[in-house]
Amino acid sequence: MVSRAAAAVRTRPRREREQEVLVWPDLVFIEFISALIFSIALMVLSAMVNAPLLNRADPDTTPNPSKAPWYFLNLQELLLHMEPAWAGVIVPTIALVLLAAIPYWDRDQEGQGVWFGTKFAGRLAIFGFTAATLITSLLIIWDGSLHVVWTENIIRGLGLNSDFSWPGGLDWFRNLRGFDTGIPWDSLGFTIGGFTMFADWRAIPLGIPGTTTDPWLLNLNFPSFLSQQIIPVATMVGLPVLFVLFCKALGWIHTRRDIALLIFSAFIGVYLTTTIVGTAFRGQGQDLKPPWDIVVLEE
Amino acid sequence: MANLERAPRKSFNDLIYDLIFKNYVWQSIFRTGYPNTPRNQMLAVATNVFLHLHPTRIHRTHVKITHTYCLGGLSFFMFLGLTVTGVLLMFYYVPSVERAYQDIQALEANVRFGQLLRNMHRWMAHAMIILVLLHMMRVFYTGAYKPPREFNWVVGVVLFILTLLLSFTGYLLPWDQLAFWAITVGTTMVGSAPVLGDESKFLLLGGFSVGSNALIRFYTLHVIGLPLVISIFLAVHFWRVRRDGGLARPL
Repeated sequence: MVSRAAAAVRTRPRREREQEVLVWPDLVFIEFISALIFSIALMVLSAMVNAPLLNRADPDTTPNPSKAPWYFLNLQELLLHMEPAWAGVIVPTIALVLLAAIPYWDRDQEGQGVWFGTKFAGRLAIFGFTAATLITSLLIIWDGSLHVVWTENIIRGLGLNSDFSWPGGLDWFRNLRGFDTGIPWDSLGFTIGGFTMFADWRAIPLGIPGTTTDPWLLNLNFPSFLSQQIIPVATMVGLPVLFVLFCKALGWIHTRRDIALLIFSAFIGVYLTTTIVGTAFRGQGQDLKPPWDIVVLEE
Repeated sequence: MANLERAPRKSFNDLIYDLIFKNYVWQSIFRTGYPNTPRNQMLAVATNVFLHLHPTRIHRTHVKITHTYCLGGLSFFMFLGLTVTGVLLMFYYVPSVERAYQDIQALEANVRFGQLLRNMHRWMAHAMIILVLLHMMRVFYTGAYKPPREFNWVVGVVLFILTLLLSFTGYLLPWDQLAFWAITVGTTMVGSAPVLGDESKFLLLGGFSVGSNALIRFYTLHVIGLPLVISIFLAVHFWRVRRDGGLARPL
């Protein structure tokens, strides 16, 4: 038995010599020039823009907003929308493991060695990237309650109702926390055969022992669990599944490579959007703000 | 006597050429002659420890810029540049809470080209992360992770993580407000991990908050620990590119 990988090496077509060029000079020249261009570009950049150096570190003075290095701001952005354990550790770990696992799942050798090798690769990549960017932006806007502000401003601005404010009945739709705070959970208990079920949704006794460090397992705070864990995780799992089903319905997906293309492109979209929002659109208290309104205060 | 008179006179250019490329010292360093014939060009690559990362010949589609945009090579070039500027920065920097910030200020104010040196190191670090990400996208969209290159893709993911860690550990060293609070935020995220969160955070910081222990840990990881680890993975990465048959090509 020869393993698939070994067979793949062995069955490669013999090299056609006339299709080959010499590494020296053809490749070495390109490498040299690109290294030179980058050296010059970085030298010029370094001559023009200084690396930042703020005041000496002071544990007693907290800047507001405090931000991680820019390449971790996608995770810091996630932190605003879900339980910290998911945002800071579990989601990135799963993402990296899935990323590393791509070639073990998509093993077909078709379409390698050329850009966008399958028939619908281009539109899958564009759709995945664009849709993920849009949906992520909308979700961030929604969780930042900007739709509330905008609706109020528009209705007041049109003169329809100068005292208009977001209706209390729609409090649950203000943002993700709305599912926790905007629903009258206390009145949602019900009685079956004399037993009152869920009299207190915020302390459902699960009684799982040894969980004193995770009190939500001992007495489940369901509204908080719903808004901080169930909904974010369902969104992160559900949207990619919907993406795949949608593109399948359009007839764009035929192989695993197509699915990988779609999801990877969507991942890049989410990665970029969250990084940019986290870097440029988060002001004091991590509120959504346009970049020119962001001031760092020291408190 | 007669023979000598009939020998063709060498032009001035040939004289210079022979003087440089055919003398005893040059030929002791470079065994082959100047690479101006196909044979010497191949030998120049094969007999040079640095160039022999490459094969001597390569498929013509692979030298097209638009196939790779040189992204992997440039990522490595950034690593080399960061090593050089990093070693120079080490001359001027002491990783102690008392001196770190002062040393950076002195580097910028008193050392000739010190500010430039620090800027280069900083922007190269950012460039390396962006280039590694773009390289990953290039490999993905050209389907170059497919068999037999599965494992090298995994090595690549590890290299991406190591790149982020190298940058993150370096971020603390200037010991200014930006550094201190970025690392505080970053390590708090680590601390929120289920089960081993607090332990991991303690291990990373050498304490419960960012202080002198954290500074020496980050410094040591940044200047020797992580560079050693990433060098090993880089070696495996490059070796496997060759072993797995060079760049991916359509079947």
